[in-house]
Amino acid sequence: MRVNYVFQFCSLWRTRATESGPMASSSTAEQKCAVVESTEEYKYVERLIPPTKIPTPPLHDGPAPSGWRPPSAVTPDLPYMVRRSRLHNVPVYTDLTHGNRKTTLLRKIEGDIWALENDVKEYLVQLTGKIPLTQVNEVTMSIRIKGHFDKELKEWLLEKGF
Amino acid sequence: MSASKTTGGKAIDILRNLPRISLANLRPNPGARKTERRRGRGAHGGNKSGRGHKGERQRGNRPRLGFEGGQTPFYLAIPKYGYNEGHSLRPQYQPLSLRRLQYLIDLGRVDTSQPIDLTQLVNGRGVTVQPLKRDYGVHLVEEGADIFSAKINIEVQRATEGAVAAIERNGGVITTGFYDFRSLTILCKPVPFFLSGQPIPKRMLPGEDMVRYYTGAENRGYLSDPEEVERARQELAQKYGYVLPDISKDELFHMLSMRKDCRQIFFGLAPGWVVNMAERKILKPTDEKLLRYYGS
Repeated sequence: MRVNYVFQFCSLWRTRATESGPMASSSTAEQKCAVVESTEEYKYVERLIPPTKIPTPPLHDGPAPSGWRPPSAVTPDLPYMVRRSRLHNVPVYTDLTHGNRKTTLLRKIEGDIWALENDVKEYLVQLTGKIPLTQVNEVTMSIRIKGHFDKELKEWLLEKGF
Repeated sequence: MSASKTTGGKAIDILRNLPRISLANLRPNPGARKTERRRGRGAHGGNKSGRGHKGERQRGNRPRLGFEGGQTPFYLAIPKYGYNEGHSLRPQYQPLSLRRLQYLIDLGRVDTSQPIDLTQLVNGRGVTVQPLKRDYGVHLVEEGADIFSAKINIEVQRATEGAVAAIERNGGVITTGFYDFRSLTILCKPVPFFLSGQPIPKRMLPGEDMVRYYTGAENRGYLSDPEEVERARQELAQKYGYVLPDISKDELFHMLSMRKDCRQIFFGLAPGWVVNMAERKILKPTDEKLLRYYGS
């Protein structure tokens, strides 16, 4: 099977419009003017312009092939809420300071942050066996946990429906 | 559970009931600040203050770092070797894993119904290419080949064999194309280029060292023979053990078979044209010499 490639460029050179532009008629007959052509090929230019708004992700049946899951349509009935980031991801981040200090940051929390902190501590105690050290920042509404727990916390939040 | 309506929660509620904060009633957590060790304050007035006895050490006249008392120092004894020679002339490629590509497609940042170009990847903020730092484009890598499942027509600058296999297994089409520095800058940032009012230049052909890569069918080079590419597709399918889907029967066959000409930078726009974004028009030259130049 031979794939016949569509070489767009070759056909473009055959369409040479010979009509002169609106401004040339007043000048000398010898004057060459650039032919103006609009909209026909301008759609290709429109495709090249970068979008200014972040696109909304399309609907998937269940998790997407890359593992991304949208937030559940029904808001979970909990005293707190964890929003998605601007690019529709779960806001759990790891940090490494001084070369050896591992922390996990849980951002974009709304509502009762202390209840969420309790739930996080309960969940991590089951996983690790010891109570994790946490810091609640009520001004920025974020929780910082000692140790790297980003994968576990992301799954846990996705199961909750955030 | 007494979360205040304003930011600050319990902390600000407590603060409101406490007396005014001043330096007199603030102190750090125990163990947060450790007092430093000050020299010259010990018994007998600190004696030598940690400087040792006489010599260069006490007098502060030690030789430069690396000096080994006259023995040829390490940094001069080891011979030079050109590990970094010509590093600023080596072509670099920004890696793009199939996993990241699948993530971008899933979030709708890259449109699969149109051919995927470096411009589309940059517009979707998937990769950042810096032509000024000797980047020659994007390198498609097979990390995430097992979860990749999208049928796309993609054009990159380099691709590993596994990545090519993963794309073709899903019924897609992959090509590798070369962009020289100017074309790459224009491809990454088309809008500032169009606003500058210059005609679209023709894409230059690869240099001697890259011709071999882009004329090879196993790399799906844009200068290679289509028949050889077809043979290479069959061989790769046999090698990786999948059935090669027939794209000629696909409904998106027209989109999948779209290719750029070797002198074309953008789909649908030929070299020599000037784009007028303010009036949404394209100006094309009519002079014969110009047409011959841009058509060559």
